[in-house]
Amino acid sequence: MTAPILEVRGLSAGYGPLRVLHDLDLTVEAGERVGIVGLNGHGKSTLFRAIAGLTDWQSGSVCIRGAEVGGSRSQGPGRHTHRIVRKGLALMPQGDAIFPGLTVREHLDAGAYTSLAWRERARRRDRILEIFPPLARLMDTPVGRLSGGERRMVSLGRGLMAESALLLVDEPSLGLAPKISKAVVEALMKIDLQDGAMLIAEQNLTLLEGRVTRLLGMHAGRLKGGGSVVLPGRHVGGGA
Amino acid sequence: MADLPFVALSAITLAAIYGLLAIGISIIWSSLGMINMAHGFTFALSGYGAWLAAQYLSDAGPMVLAGGIVAGALSGVLICAVSFLPLHDKPNFVVRSMIATLAISLIGSQCLLWAFGPRVKALPKVFGEGTVEFGEVVFTADKVGAIATSAVVLLLTLFWMTRSRRGLEIRAMMQNPEGAALVGIGVRKTALWVMAVTGGLAGLAAVLLSQTFFVSPGSGLQPLVKGLIVALCGGLGSIRGALIAALLIGITEAATATYLGGQYVLMTQFGLIIAVLLARPRGIGGLLDETRE
Repeated sequence: MTAPILEVRGLSAGYGPLRVLHDLDLTVEAGERVGIVGLNGHGKSTLFRAIAGLTDWQSGSVCIRGAEVGGSRSQGPGRHTHRIVRKGLALMPQGDAIFPGLTVREHLDAGAYTSLAWRERARRRDRILEIFPPLARLMDTPVGRLSGGERRMVSLGRGLMAESALLLVDEPSLGLAPKISKAVVEALMKIDLQDGAMLIAEQNLTLLEGRVTRLLGMHAGRLKGGGSVVLPGRHVGGGA
Repeated sequence: MADLPFVALSAITLAAIYGLLAIGISIIWSSLGMINMAHGFTFALSGYGAWLAAQYLSDAGPMVLAGGIVAGALSGVLICAVSFLPLHDKPNFVVRSMIATLAISLIGSQCLLWAFGPRVKALPKVFGEGTVEFGEVVFTADKVGAIATSAVVLLLTLFWMTRSRRGLEIRAMMQNPEGAALVGIGVRKTALWVMAVTGGLAGLAAVLLSQTFFVSPGSGLQPLVKGLIVALCGGLGSIRGALIAALLIGITEAATATYLGGQYVLMTQFGLIIAVLLARPRGIGGLLDETRE
């Protein structure tokens, strides 16, 4: 059996004296689309940031396709992030982490960090435009001038350029009008995962219901239901 | 106002040289989050690098320029290795790195004093002794050469920054360090590139300014102050702002030195920067609000 796309064991993480994640386990297999729902401040974003090595401190094992990227760390947030990203992670964070002065085209190019993706960047840009058509006429506009929804599309598109195995999407609907957030989630659901997997953190349960492989609840830094709450009728093998 | 062409030429020469320094300081601040107090040391060391190249290799113009640029790039890499790589992910990095680069600057100028002695050195004339005539006005070759060389190098640098993949990585890091890490850009490797390129620019500035002034162990202090003034005035992080500010500061310096006297130069310059910062607290470029908070 091949290694799962993501395997988290005993992950704790936080900021300064604050401990946000408590001894958390999570396994995601190839082809899965997993939704993580929970209220603000219960650790959804911190889970994603810990996987990317962006929290102040963390301990516990994080494996991406069998490669250990976690471990214990008490300082240096972001120090290893680029190496973790190169192992096949794409985090599309809350707040979008955009470069305000760079154009949409430059954002997409910046996302193509593997040498294969860089060579194919023109073709891959076209593929992103098929997913997010409104970006086509904005290619040479600085992203600082775009609307919230357009920025979200740029941030998601940038994350998709490298065709990473593990896609972490943090609150795709945050701050967007209902119609736009629905379109964005719709586009995310259409993406061909191939051998990869996607984790979506969301407050708005109705946006994900019935569209993901399984839904997990996040409460006070722990995943509810022993790591998996399987929706009836949507169970596609696997599970933690 | 008979010497207006002379003032204008001096102003543009100074603007070109200060621009080279200020762009370096500006890029380092916005991409690495570090106020490089050792930029003046890079400047002084490059002067000696150019002098060594002239002494032991060849005193041909290109060789002297190359000596200065290479020494500047090496100095940038050294500063990066000492004050950025070990510190950048530690708390309070901005203050720590400022102290570290200040230490490099102080220790470095003492080392230069120890190695080369207190006597100043003169560089050979890189652009020859000739003159260029535009109508009735006669310009000296060193000024015209300084303007042309820095214009070409600045354009090449800007082209590299906007067109190459490495340049894209640096600009991404200037705008959002966390976003840069999330697209797989290694901060440490990119920082080495930034420091080498900005060090090379400072090295070029050192050779160009040494056509008028001498190379000495403490020669970096004045250019550091000017470079910081221009970078602040232009808005840290804004390359276009730095170029406009360099022109303003150059005009002020040349005009003050000619019409009032050299001792008033720093006064009028600081007067100008205070005026600019009162009117536009984020400098001329004012990009800072969109980049680092």
